Amino acid sequence: MNRPRLMVLSIDGVPFGLLERFLAGGRMPNLAGLVEQASAGGQGGLRPMRSAQPTVSCVAWSSYMTGCNPGKHGIFGFIDRREDGYELSFPNSRMMAVEHLWEILSKAGKRVFGMNVPATYPPRPVNGVLIGGFLAPSVDKCAYPADVSGYLKQIDYQIDSDAALARKDKRAMLGNLDKTLDTRMEAMFHFLDAEPWDFFHTHIMGTDRINHFLLEKYEQGDPQFAPAFERYYRRIDEAVGRLLDRLGDDTPLLIFSDHGFCPIKQEVQLSRYLIETGWTVPATTLRHPLSIDPARSKAYCLIPGRIFVNLKGREPGGIVPLEEYQQTRLKLKEDLLQLKDPATGEPVIRKVMMREDLYWPAGSFGVDALPPEPVARAGGVFGRAADLIAIPHDGYDLKLGLAGNTVFQRTELEGMHTYHDAAMISRGVELPAGDLEILMLAQPILRQLGVEPPQDMDGVGSAVTSWEN
Amino acid sequence: MDKLGELESQSIYIIREAYYHYKKLAVLWSIGKDSTTLVTLVRKAFFGRVPFPALHIDTSYKFPEMYRFRDEYSKKWGLELVVTRNEAALAAGMKCDKKLECCNALKTEALKQAIAEHGFEALLLGIRRDEHGIRAKERYFSPRDEKFQWNYQDQPPELWDQYKSQAEERTHIRVHPLLGWTEVDIWRYLKRENVPITELYFSRNGKRYRSIGCTTCCNPIDSDAATIDEIIEELETTNTSERAGRAQDKENVYTMQKLRALGYM
Repeated sequence: MNRPRLMVLSIDGVPFGLLERFLAGGRMPNLAGLVEQASAGGQGGLRPMRSAQPTVSCVAWSSYMTGCNPGKHGIFGFIDRREDGYELSFPNSRMMAVEHLWEILSKAGKRVFGMNVPATYPPRPVNGVLIGGFLAPSVDKCAYPADVSGYLKQIDYQIDSDAALARKDKRAMLGNLDKTLDTRMEAMFHFLDAEPWDFFHTHIMGTDRINHFLLEKYEQGDPQFAPAFERYYRRIDEAVGRLLDRLGDDTPLLIFSDHGFCPIKQEVQLSRYLIETGWTVPATTLRHPLSIDPARSKAYCLIPGRIFVNLKGREPGGIVPLEEYQQTRLKLKEDLLQLKDPATGEPVIRKVMMREDLYWPAGSFGVDALPPEPVARAGGVFGRAADLIAIPHDGYDLKLGLAGNTVFQRTELEGMHTYHDAAMISRGVELPAGDLEILMLAQPILRQLGVEPPQDMDGVGSAVTSWEN
Repeated sequence: MDKLGELESQSIYIIREAYYHYKKLAVLWSIGKDSTTLVTLVRKAFFGRVPFPALHIDTSYKFPEMYRFRDEYSKKWGLELVVTRNEAALAAGMKCDKKLECCNALKTEALKQAIAEHGFEALLLGIRRDEHGIRAKERYFSPRDEKFQWNYQDQPPELWDQYKSQAEERTHIRVHPLLGWTEVDIWRYLKRENVPITELYFSRNGKRYRSIGCTTCCNPIDSDAATIDEIIEELETTNTSERAGRAQDKENVYTMQKLRALGYM
């Protein structure tokens, strides 16, 4: 039977803490068995992992698959400002400025497979199969090579569960999640059987979805939805059980998430706060979440917590002169740190980072001390980073919306991403000891398959993210 | 023959070919520059007369200038104008706050209704390959099934200008006589033939529309081009896309909806 040389199964947004509880409580026996086997043999086990900033799937997975920080790979969030005006654009794999694991391995002659990993759409050509995930608009367009979509349609493959449905009807969402998982697993086993792949990565998005919509109900022990939540995780564990049988005891294996989760205290419309503090002036007609009046706005934000100075000479209608860049950033930082939850008086923003303190460009390996002017005018990929990145306390989910009239609100959403508690279960793959961050995975994966990592790849030495001290 | 002459005669050939094959034919007229060029070519192909209906899918959200233009020139050109609206969706309050649903109800569904009502076998459309990535894959004769689905991976090749104008078990054929034209070809042709066009395309107060549709989804671009010559000059030097002023492409709209549903915005 064909076995891959390295198997990756990623489970989006499963928090380390929750996984630990599920394993200890016997709710995911197959995963628990795997952890026990790997740690007893000194080949791995379960450990927490740090995500990426900002903590959203597209940034985290781009960092995983490129082994680079966003200042090099260029994916800073789900939306960007379009270059020619205050309009939204939606970054996808075309904007990724460096090669990803599947491409690097392909060039080294390896046979690779990837399915449903966020930020891989549109799929770039590889030596094997690459099927795009979340935000791929249709099965027809999601796969390389294109004829793979014929098989996917035949099994009624689902790219993602329907979040709009989840907002309307959480029971219907559960059925939808099951169907998405079932067709994903069917495709996974189909392609595993097809050939002895060198690198095989399948992604499950449903864990992120169920955490977004049901985490609070689960934590509160809701009589209807808490059991449904556990049942979904048990279904994943059953799939893992089948996979472990299929792989045998020796196939090197990584099962991990890209970020953690916690219940939402408040959704925070940060753009509204920037309006209230006078930094952003909305346009007279709001057509989209970036409809600002550039002539009167000194700053604006994109999700989540990415704040841009409306800098003259850089932004299409910039008004802040270069000489005022740094003092503008410092004032913005001060205002952001003042934001308090009206219900409790707790501060919302944990830390505000300058772009150069969080990211570094191609040619660097870690952050450098840079004067503000070259930072403001930086070009290339690094120059697309936000000027400030606001990192919230857990529970405060930073949003974007100019139309709403309140800063704080609650909706059907129950969970938000956390940075520090992604989860990693490994067996037979040599990962760095101690502190682990998602951008540190690409190098060990390449080495495991005997491929030398590209020179500009981050993830070792000082080329890791450090913001918490 | 110069380039415009070649484009013109090829388009006329395709229009006549379509007229020969399909008894129930119509030309889709959106009042924009491309479909107005198409109507002009149809008039030329049949010596000034248009021997089949001109179909206007009216979302009710078009610019007043467009309605005025439609009514004036359909009379002047003696067109058999068929206007179709999805009245049920409009009565239910459909508008562009839900862009994909709105386009689907007021354009696609309205077209389906018109095809069902009038029994059209084929439609002439003014789309061009250079408008949008996916249109590069279009054929001159392109079948659509009963669900309006277009399977671009299963199309007859059109090598050496051999067109497969008949297809089996499909509800209708779309015919694209302007496929090989570019945006600037259209403007050069409108100029050469002295074709009237709605004033929305010409600059007023530093703004003009480069592409028109519903008022709700179109934005003017910054431009001082107030005549056809100035538009041609502008197009020869620009490198932004024609549809940049249109509300985002469908894929972006899809992405936006998805992100909204997940609560990012």
